Amino acid sequence: MEFGYMNKWLKVNLTLKEFKDFSISEDILRQYLGGKGIAVHLLWKYVSKLEEKGINVKDFDALSSENMLIFATGPVTGTRSPNSGRHHVMALRSPLTGSIGSGNSGGRWGAKLKFAGYDGIVVIGKSENPVYISIIDGSVEIHDATELWGKNSIETSNHLRNKHDKRRAGVSCIGPAGENLVPMAVIINEEHRAVGRTGLGAVMASKNLKAIIVEGNSKPNIAKPDEFGLKVKEHVEKLKENGVTGEGLPTYGTAVLVNIINQNGMLPTKNWQTGVNPEAEKISGETLTEEYLIDKHPCWGCVVACGRKTKVDKGNYKITYTEGPEYESIWALGGSTTINNMAAVIKANHYCDIFGIDPISVGSSIAAAMELNEKGMIPEEDLQGIDLQFGNADAVVELTWMTAFRQGLGFWIGEGSRKMCQHYGSPDLSMSVKGLEMPAYDPRGAKGIGLNYATGNRGGCHVTGYTIAAEILGDVDRFTTEGKAELVKIFQDFTSIVNSSVNCLFLTFALGLDEYAEMIGPITGWDVNSDELLTIGERITNLERMIINKFGITGKDDTLPKRLLEEKMPEGPSKGQTVDLETMKEEYYELRGWVNGIPSEEKIIELGLK
Amino acid sequence: MKIFVKVFASLRKKYPDISDLNPLEMEIDKGTTLAQLIARLNFSQEEVKIILVNGLRASVDDIIKEEGSIISLFPAVGGG
Repeated sequence: MEFGYMNKWLKVNLTLKEFKDFSISEDILRQYLGGKGIAVHLLWKYVSKLEEKGINVKDFDALSSENMLIFATGPVTGTRSPNSGRHHVMALRSPLTGSIGSGNSGGRWGAKLKFAGYDGIVVIGKSENPVYISIIDGSVEIHDATELWGKNSIETSNHLRNKHDKRRAGVSCIGPAGENLVPMAVIINEEHRAVGRTGLGAVMASKNLKAIIVEGNSKPNIAKPDEFGLKVKEHVEKLKENGVTGEGLPTYGTAVLVNIINQNGMLPTKNWQTGVNPEAEKISGETLTEEYLIDKHPCWGCVVACGRKTKVDKGNYKITYTEGPEYESIWALGGSTTINNMAAVIKANHYCDIFGIDPISVGSSIAAAMELNEKGMIPEEDLQGIDLQFGNADAVVELTWMTAFRQGLGFWIGEGSRKMCQHYGSPDLSMSVKGLEMPAYDPRGAKGIGLNYATGNRGGCHVTGYTIAAEILGDVDRFTTEGKAELVKIFQDFTSIVNSSVNCLFLTFALGLDEYAEMIGPITGWDVNSDELLTIGERITNLERMIINKFGITGKDDTLPKRLLEEKMPEGPSKGQTVDLETMKEEYYELRGWVNGIPSEEKIIELGLK
Repeated sequence: MKIFVKVFASLRKKYPDISDLNPLEMEIDKGTTLAQLIARLNFSQEEVKIILVNGLRASVDDIIKEEGSIISLFPAVGGG
């Protein structure tokens, strides 16, 4: 494939300390595009290989040396097309959920991987000693990383950039949480950007892989540079003119959502006991901007700049420089726990970045622990003197680092709310789907996002199909279930295209599928339209579903916590609402061509997945 | 008729002290529409993209019906 791609993938076997290049055929690229799509394709092939060896995939251990970890870019990554510095990471299985491992990150690492000469990296096996991989101008080396083990993400990144004398290199690494095999550990790049969900940091650590540093001067060739340049200009103009990408996100960051979601009465509070937080203003984007913001911080090639450089000037949570926090992190660490203390959120979020844990999962699990404690389910000896009450900011900050180091109650929090709530005898208090803690929108106030949480392949996640854009920020009736199945399907399949391109999901506030065809066409030279892209997205969603079916995950797992299905929202604008999931799910399966959460034979044939 | 107005994000450039915790108390005539309220607050209709009345979506032509209503005004916002 001459254009858009570097035409080279790297396969590393850490057990043998061997690596080799391989390529992906144009036929496969046209079916799966890149990024997540190619990763899912490679994982499916790997599943077949494991089955041929007689391995029962259902019993597959996520932290075994046989788990496959894939770092992937797509045709748009690293081009002049806006916001294209991102990359997607997948593992066959997540240690947190037992479903597929999947995450996406900003920063610059994705672009830098292509400049180093590669579209993606597949890692299998386990090294005997800690190692890191360098890919610099096409040259690959595996180095000993014993001296890096124990270092946090900032120390690790600085050390490697200095050692290789590459000040602008991309560094993806794990922190101590990964090393401690915390199932909600993340992979961090550029110190503050995370492949945040499903515990991929623990998978990387289980291979004794501390970091991957990438740098180089290669660039993907563009098939039709003039046409592409014109489209880039048009797309940048659209992003600048759009109220969300041109003003809301640059000025306030993603935290601009705190107030609007709360005004709709669907900001999960007290571990989702209500959707109304009377003090949400204290942790809003407006407060962050006024009191804690140093400057904006764009990712590579970004024209939006939602990233935040922040500080806390005084008090117990003083910090001279950090980045974030994002809307979801603020909600999990500060809203669900009802501490409503921005300084404490910034500190806890900083710990998440440097020690390498997912702020959504850790914050949400701390909130679940607070409710367990409220109901008297946690024995006093397990609390070790921590005053685990809703609203206690010190407890949140302390438990965040304790989770990274598996100390005290931090052990159970790190296992995720599903296992923790089972352990303490109240499984219904885990606000998770398929073991993944849900993000900051109570679906009792927007039904489509509930269907999306329930049917997401990786679990309870908003960025699989962000229907909030239509239900809260757009004009679609948020309480109705009518039409939501179709909405969710389109959002999910379109998102698969974004994650396979690979660029930033926030572009979709201003750019639609037509604009994605306008990017991908001139980059690759393919004659591609929006319908074809949506079919590619559907193919990726279905193949990912076929993988999780192998783990025994089916329709029974496409569900929501009992609280959202049965307990009426007690107060506020969404008062009296529950989620009528079954009606939407039935329609969704019908539209998808799935039976009980499993793609039908006809659908598999239709998408060429036989 | 007394109502409470909250403005958010960039709309606070005009009303820096108005927030969720400190809403603006206003007297309006019966039959006042949201378009009239927006004009009275010196906003253009283009600036105000999302209007909630007591947390429920409303449009500019709607009349503010209830005493004590909370009107939340937003520009275009998004994230995730």
